[in-house]
Amino acid sequence: MRKRTLRRGSAAARLAALLAVCMGLPARAAENQAFDETARPILKAMCFHCHGEEGKPEGGLDLRLVRAMLKGGDSGPALEPSMHQESLIWERIESDEMPPGPKKLTPDQKATVRAWIDAGARFDSSEPDSLPPGPAFSTAERNHWSFRPIQRFEAPGVTQPAAIRTTIDPFLLSKLESNGLSFSPEADRTTLIRRLSFDLLGLPPSPQDVAAFVADDRPDAYERLVERLLANPHYGERWARHWLDVAGYADSDGGPSTDPERPYVHRYRDWLIQALNADRGWDALIREQLAGDEMLTQPLTELAGDDLNRLIATGFLRLVPDTTTDSAVDAVVARNEVVGDTLKVVGSSFLGLTIGCAQCHAHRYDPVSQEDYYRLRAIFEPALDTEHWRLPKDRLVSLWGEAERQKAAAVDAEVAAIDKERVAELEKLVQIVLERELAAAPEAVRGPLREARDTAADKRTDKHKALLKEYPRVLVSTGNISLFDAQGTNTVEGKYNPKMAEVRKTRPVEDFVQVLTEVPGQVPPTRLFYRGDPKQPKQEIQPGELSVLAERVGAVSIAGDDPGVPTTGRRLAYARHLTSGKHPLVARVLVNRVWMHHFGRGLVPTPADFGALGQPPSHPQLLDRLAADFMDQGWSLKNLHRTIVRSTAYRQRSTRTQEQDASDPDNLLLGRMSIRRLEAEEIRDAWLTVSGQLRPQLYGAPVPVGFTLDGTIALGIEKVDGNGHRTADATGLNGAQFRRSLYLQVRRSRPLGLLEVFDAPTLTPNCDLRGVSTGSTQSLYLLNDADVRATAAALARRSGSAHESLSSRLEHAWTLAFGKAPEASQLELFQAYVTGQSEALFRAAAAEGRKPALATEQLALETFCQALLASNSFLYVD
Amino acid sequence: MTEHHSRRHFLTAAGTNLTGSLALAYLLGQEGARADTGKPTLEKPVYSLLPKPAPRPPRAQAMISLWMQGGPSHLDLFDPKPELTKNHLKSHGGDIERDNAGEASPKLFASPWKFEPRGHCGMPLSELLPGLAAVCDDIALIRSMKTDVNNHGQSISALLTGRITPGRPVLGSWLTYALGTESQNLPAYCVLTDPGGVPVLGADNWSNGWLPSLYQGTVIRPREPRIVNLEPPAELRGAPQRRLLNLLDDLNATHLAAHPGEHDLSSRIASYELAARMQTAAKEALDISSEPPAIQTLYGLDNPASREYGTRCLIARRLIERGVRFVQVCTGNQEWDHHGAIETALPNTCKKVDQPSAALVRDLKQRGLLDTTIVHWGGEMGRLPVIQNEKNIGRDHNTHGFTHWVAGGGFKGGIIHGATDEIGYKAVENIVNHSDLHATLLHLFGFEPQALTFQRPTGPGSLIDGQPARIVTELLA
Repeated sequence: MRKRTLRRGSAAARLAALLAVCMGLPARAAENQAFDETARPILKAMCFHCHGEEGKPEGGLDLRLVRAMLKGGDSGPALEPSMHQESLIWERIESDEMPPGPKKLTPDQKATVRAWIDAGARFDSSEPDSLPPGPAFSTAERNHWSFRPIQRFEAPGVTQPAAIRTTIDPFLLSKLESNGLSFSPEADRTTLIRRLSFDLLGLPPSPQDVAAFVADDRPDAYERLVERLLANPHYGERWARHWLDVAGYADSDGGPSTDPERPYVHRYRDWLIQALNADRGWDALIREQLAGDEMLTQPLTELAGDDLNRLIATGFLRLVPDTTTDSAVDAVVARNEVVGDTLKVVGSSFLGLTIGCAQCHAHRYDPVSQEDYYRLRAIFEPALDTEHWRLPKDRLVSLWGEAERQKAAAVDAEVAAIDKERVAELEKLVQIVLERELAAAPEAVRGPLREARDTAADKRTDKHKALLKEYPRVLVSTGNISLFDAQGTNTVEGKYNPKMAEVRKTRPVEDFVQVLTEVPGQVPPTRLFYRGDPKQPKQEIQPGELSVLAERVGAVSIAGDDPGVPTTGRRLAYARHLTSGKHPLVARVLVNRVWMHHFGRGLVPTPADFGALGQPPSHPQLLDRLAADFMDQGWSLKNLHRTIVRSTAYRQRSTRTQEQDASDPDNLLLGRMSIRRLEAEEIRDAWLTVSGQLRPQLYGAPVPVGFTLDGTIALGIEKVDGNGHRTADATGLNGAQFRRSLYLQVRRSRPLGLLEVFDAPTLTPNCDLRGVSTGSTQSLYLLNDADVRATAAALARRSGSAHESLSSRLEHAWTLAFGKAPEASQLELFQAYVTGQSEALFRAAAAEGRKPALATEQLALETFCQALLASNSFLYVD
Repeated sequence: MTEHHSRRHFLTAAGTNLTGSLALAYLLGQEGARADTGKPTLEKPVYSLLPKPAPRPPRAQAMISLWMQGGPSHLDLFDPKPELTKNHLKSHGGDIERDNAGEASPKLFASPWKFEPRGHCGMPLSELLPGLAAVCDDIALIRSMKTDVNNHGQSISALLTGRITPGRPVLGSWLTYALGTESQNLPAYCVLTDPGGVPVLGADNWSNGWLPSLYQGTVIRPREPRIVNLEPPAELRGAPQRRLLNLLDDLNATHLAAHPGEHDLSSRIASYELAARMQTAAKEALDISSEPPAIQTLYGLDNPASREYGTRCLIARRLIERGVRFVQVCTGNQEWDHHGAIETALPNTCKKVDQPSAALVRDLKQRGLLDTTIVHWGGEMGRLPVIQNEKNIGRDHNTHGFTHWVAGGGFKGGIIHGATDEIGYKAVENIVNHSDLHATLLHLFGFEPQALTFQRPTGPGSLIDGQPARIVTELLA
């Protein structure tokens, strides 16, 4: 077998090259740069594992430190600065003797190492003489931009100060100006109100709202509009949807088998809507979501008001998929996955870090060790205790107080009393039948037969059994008496059942919340799992912050003996630490998300990865300033919205210009607004709005989804027929099928047609960033789906009754869809379309021998409405 | 004609001709996609699905990838190891990288299935693959595949997109971007998903990444309706729907004129036209009832074990015949991920897949289509020579050495390329990694592999992405 000495494209080599790129380096680095920026990333990927990170360094040589290389190992010094040909390390890697195994350094990587040696093997003078075994973070890694403290940068100067409206403008404009660009002109008012309405409410403005805004000549008309929208309760729904993506909200547990429903989780969703509408500070919301339970007094009974809300908020930590009740899944693995997924959600939502990567080994790109990962895990483990696992049904806290409990017990007792009477009367019937049946048996067996019948089933002798087999009818009982005496039974049941039903109605309905809590005193040790395998626990790890952050913001101070907190208090301490105002990631990550939802792209385009593999911010000073202001101003989301949407930048036109496209085709500098396609939920909600069907009530249990006969998913109560065929029946929904998409059940295994087609997220476990796809499945949906056509029909009906003129109906339909009237010339053409379409429908029906629809003009108008709903003008926001 | 007249009025800004499809006229009438000149374009390029010639005369014009997600065991199917038989259940001393260390066993595990030389070429294949055995003179076995990233997601990304990082375009998107499609009535790139769920990474398996969304795969469902909403409503069939589409076209053209350079808007306009034509074309293409009984039997449609997969393979052939550029026929989510109970699970999966896969090669050949159609069979990994879980024997992940096979489109038949080590753990001879495979495929489609690029804001992007990539000439006929 031929031995290959140089393998092409090994994974590790690619990783190292990638790492180099991420750190802003060409593969062949500039000669005057120090170790951290040049050779180290390569050696880290290829050599550190044996030479420093794991146990005793091979050959006594620790390659993590230049000082250690100079000192050398068993074979003498490894490095001779400025002379690569004299350096042992060069000799070994150049000849591919090292690293052992198939993964060798690429020619580019070798060149980088050689260049670094020849430039004098420079290194940071603060480098220590030695390091304990384990991953060591370089200064460059520790100084990664997102770990540095948030600074309140002053706004840069600009040449057009008149264009400055809010904090964000000078930061954006100065960068535009330095690229020879400027802001685009302001969009027209119809565009602005549509943009604002969708951004803040997820709904289109009504034609009346548009007209009023266009006509409003007060100087602060725009600001007034912003305030009006922020005060609208639909605001909370829209922005809750964004957070629910990140939190991974679903109304079911997931899993390969049954994907059971999670019946009480919507209370978390409703809590969130209320909190957003009230503009509660996100510092408080973070604390409540991570540790609301630790702010309460045990036991958790008689809860109401703020206390109840704090408990509901902990539902955040109960949102990930959970297959621990699924017999098809290994229990240890399943529990561990729930903990792992929960940490992943915490990492991506608050920290913007892919900490899950450190579950099995040190993070390959970011300075997160495996110990760090388990430090974080230890914060949550007392509540997510895999040894004392709580199944989904055991995570519910009843909302009953003592009064409800007593009332329920009283009702139960009353029902039992009535039932006793009912059974007694049935027993009388039984006795009559029994005597009749005994009388029908030969006299000789009557005695033994009665004895056999009255003997308990498990005590009967073979003789008893034989007798009963011969005379089975003596086995009459209150359970089967209806077979012997239907009329008598019916009379008794008819007398008592309504009574019992009546009494049962007075029983209070028990309601629950899904929570995350700890059992006081029950504190499992957290152990590091060798290679992430829960079946191979190693050393115990104490709770704490990631070490790279602890260096910056201090350790999490956990007051285990706080008498006010009977549980470990770990999560509460951690939540306070995250919201102390000093944490470098939390505010940046939150602010970036809000920015992303307004401008279509984050200042950091990778909202859940602020690490080395993520992209750096396009405007780092602006991101910091927004984060600093956000914390200074009470972590208020609405204030942040104001800063953004009242800016000149946000009010720009979206039209591309050749000049901008030439230098900034992707609009990274925001010299215009970017157009965006509506999200799946917005499309459906907008259709329901313009067609007048939307049921605007807030909150409550989700609208169910189920399978249709053809195997697609639809809204409705699922019914199963005798053949096992399932159908979703919407008739029992009483109009709930017209509620906002936020309230539609998110069943992980049953993505709803329209939402799935338009890129609603798959929650495994959460969604950091939605995709936007365009494809023929969407077009087929828009052309042929029954829901779209029903919406178009509703819009056609809303446009006016049949005795109104066609032109007025067309104008009305258009105005409802787009908020403004069509031009007169367009209207003429639309009329021609409907007239022609009417004829075409008539001819098509005749050609196929079908009876033409009674009102072809109505149907023609519906197709016109369908075109409006499916048009790009409708589906995109400028 | 009033309709014409009205259309003209709408179109003042777009200024295109009015016949047929406005969208296509706009989109397709202009110079297409292949941005391999490296020159920065001043005008925004316009993307299309019109057929485009390859820079060099191609060997292959279409491809069907039978995508075996989960990782079929090369050791039990393609790569016999006498050394394993000799040392069955003996402990292996060397290092083995595993995914599940918890159930790891050091014991070597010989294949429980027999291998025998097959075909004229004498290719040794497992008894689990009687179907493939019958066409092995037409396939090239690559026994030295490797990606070296030991989990499903990253290895899938490597094999489909060239890199382990997410967000990049897959091979099928590259080919449709570069070559368009011969059929303007069917999606250029079709993905036939399995009733057992979509592969790991879901839609990333057919994602256009940063290529225009026009080039993403279109999913064809595993059960009826295979394409949801394919049927127009009865009362709108024919002229009324055409008129509705024309109106939509007009509205969208006016909107596009006010939004110059927005690719997504143009893509959506084109997707309506495609959707309209698909209503008839796709229905016909997906309907296998007209296939003669002999063909249905060939694909295993008379056998409950292979009927479902066979139907999709047959559909794949019908799509290719009708000009579709790239078809991916998926197996179920992790269907080949035999961590346990391999002795019962692996034969079941083979019964499902073997006959239909082989039928595709034979059927394409008898139709004269194999010369220009590549059939590719493989997953993101193979399995380990040692036992995972002694209580319920399976094999753990192995991305250091595994097997794929390819046929047609310029690949040589009846050959075995590359080799793994004595126990089948690592590819050691004539290694073919994902970039080598990509380079070879692109070469057969007529491209210089590194030169097929797409202009991104950050510079040209490509499938190979600057990685060393060798055209495996030994595989070529």
